Amino acid sequence: MKTTFAFAAVAAFVAVSAPAKADNMVFSSWGGTTQDAQKAAWASPFTEKTGITVVQDGPTDYGKLKAMVEAGEVTWDVVDVEGDYAAQAGKNGQLEKLDFSVIDKSKLDPRFVTDYSVGSFYYSFVIGCNADAVKACPKTWADLFDTAKFPGKRTFYKWSAPGVIEAALLADGVAADKLYPLDLDRAFKKLDTIKSDIIWWSGGAQSQQLLASAEAPFGSVWNGRMTALAATGIKVETSWEQNITAADALVVPKGSPNVESAMKFIALATSAEPQAALAKATGYAPINVDSAKLMDPETAKTLPDQQTASQVNADMSYWADNRDAIGEKWYAWQAK
Amino acid sequence: MSTFSDASGVVTPLPKIRRPTGFSGVVPAFAFVGIFFVAPVAILLLRSVLEPVPGLGNYAQLIGSSTYLKIFANTFIVSGLVTVISLVIGFPVAWALAIMPGRLTSVIFAILLLSMWTNLLARTYAWMVLLQRTGLINKMLMGMGLIDQPLALVNNLTGVTIGMTYIMLPFIILPLYGVIKKIDPSTLQAAALCGANRWQCLTRVLLPLAMPGMAAGALMVFVMSLGYFVTPSLLGGTANMMLAELIAQFVQSLVNWGMGGAAALVLLVVTLSLYAVQLRFFGNQNPGGR
Repeated sequence: MKTTFAFAAVAAFVAVSAPAKADNMVFSSWGGTTQDAQKAAWASPFTEKTGITVVQDGPTDYGKLKAMVEAGEVTWDVVDVEGDYAAQAGKNGQLEKLDFSVIDKSKLDPRFVTDYSVGSFYYSFVIGCNADAVKACPKTWADLFDTAKFPGKRTFYKWSAPGVIEAALLADGVAADKLYPLDLDRAFKKLDTIKSDIIWWSGGAQSQQLLASAEAPFGSVWNGRMTALAATGIKVETSWEQNITAADALVVPKGSPNVESAMKFIALATSAEPQAALAKATGYAPINVDSAKLMDPETAKTLPDQQTASQVNADMSYWADNRDAIGEKWYAWQAK
Repeated sequence: MSTFSDASGVVTPLPKIRRPTGFSGVVPAFAFVGIFFVAPVAILLLRSVLEPVPGLGNYAQLIGSSTYLKIFANTFIVSGLVTVISLVIGFPVAWALAIMPGRLTSVIFAILLLSMWTNLLARTYAWMVLLQRTGLINKMLMGMGLIDQPLALVNNLTGVTIGMTYIMLPFIILPLYGVIKKIDPSTLQAAALCGANRWQCLTRVLLPLAMPGMAAGALMVFVMSLGYFVTPSLLGGTANMMLAELIAQFVQSLVNWGMGGAAALVLLVVTLSLYAVQLRFFGNQNPGGR
């Protein structure tokens, strides 16, 4: 009797947490200002247009995503993930193929389109600097790795992802078109030279905090964070010299109960106007080629898509194939 | 047998309330723990020997890598350090709480509990702001002319130790307070009458009597520290990474559950063995009962 009751309670509990059904879908992203902007620029017009409610969830967590797909209990319908992860998960069969009869890819930047993912927005790793805190700001990756000319702590992205290894190789004099396949040993050797001067940032907010407090007065950060810092009144300098692009991607986990709504959502999110609205709000670049026209030129020119002069594109497909191997080496080196 | 008569005067016996006996009463609790705690852990541990290929490869990799061994060692060093410092700071505070007038005690307790109830992330960020190069502590020390270069107090072992000790202090003060409060003050008087000086009173009487509380508090702090994630990752550098962070990297960033499970099992085994040791040596919570 009591056992039945316990199981009934468990069953009720499970029922309550069952995935959302029709007219209702879940979007997961990284929280903070970026997700707020995605909600305003994408989810609100989408609900207005289709009547489908978009529940916001997050932060995105690849472990959680894998667990959902494996258990067949997918509660996220559209997920904002990093480009290298999207490429890898697509290859590993964890994502639904996108329906390009619903999503118009003719207007999307082809660098960020695969069978399983389209760009969400794209960003650059730039050399950011708190100009109030130091005599001179580093202008190139080589400067950032030069502790004699630019003494002090510098900050880099903590997680294994495109960006830091590329920066180390560029600083060491590797030509931008010769980066791939990455020479990891050479990169780690270069990183070793400044290891004791690196403070790692694990999230965008932390990178802002480190720069603003001059705990690390300069470093490699997402360009949108420099836009946000400048808005707080701190005197910042951003060097776009060899800025390294990487994109976030929108994906649909395999087994999502609302695939149709998910495709419609991605179609709207990647169309010109919502992409422009998101770019305005975040300082990241639109992946729709028609979006720039819809923005005032002053804003448009501050975005990564206007900084192509010396731009370096991180190779997502290389990263997808080598993500695990690089990750293991990366964390092992960090912890040494 | 109690009875119940309704308005028409019909007497109906009340149903007997039987107290559940034996095992049946705890079945729901066991079912709950089994479904929501044991099963997921068991599945994760299974994956550690099944993924990516069946066998003990993950464990071999964990134990065979100097980096991972360093992380294990570091986890123990930080946890040990935090435990010792918490004891050294916590004991006098618990002692003071036990002998203070009641009103003052409740004020200090309120402060302790309020800090415990404040969001962990908020407290960790607060330490970051205090400890950073341009933070309050460095500014103060430089203003007083004690240092001319800011001290590196954060993103290193110092930062982790300070932040974690602060967070762990209540967990050591509360059990210690409970034990010290129960010690009969006349034992100390008796010791003094028998000619013990202050130091002997402390080391020969008070500390042995407080030992069960110290052991319980220290074990709790040590075990909690072993699995700590937020504070080390925000206040420490990668050079003094702890095990919980490594597990998070395996599971969240690399999506390598085999390794994550293996690291988690090592942590679990260590924790349980420590608990076994504590039970063996301090299981008898009756002070004085040797």
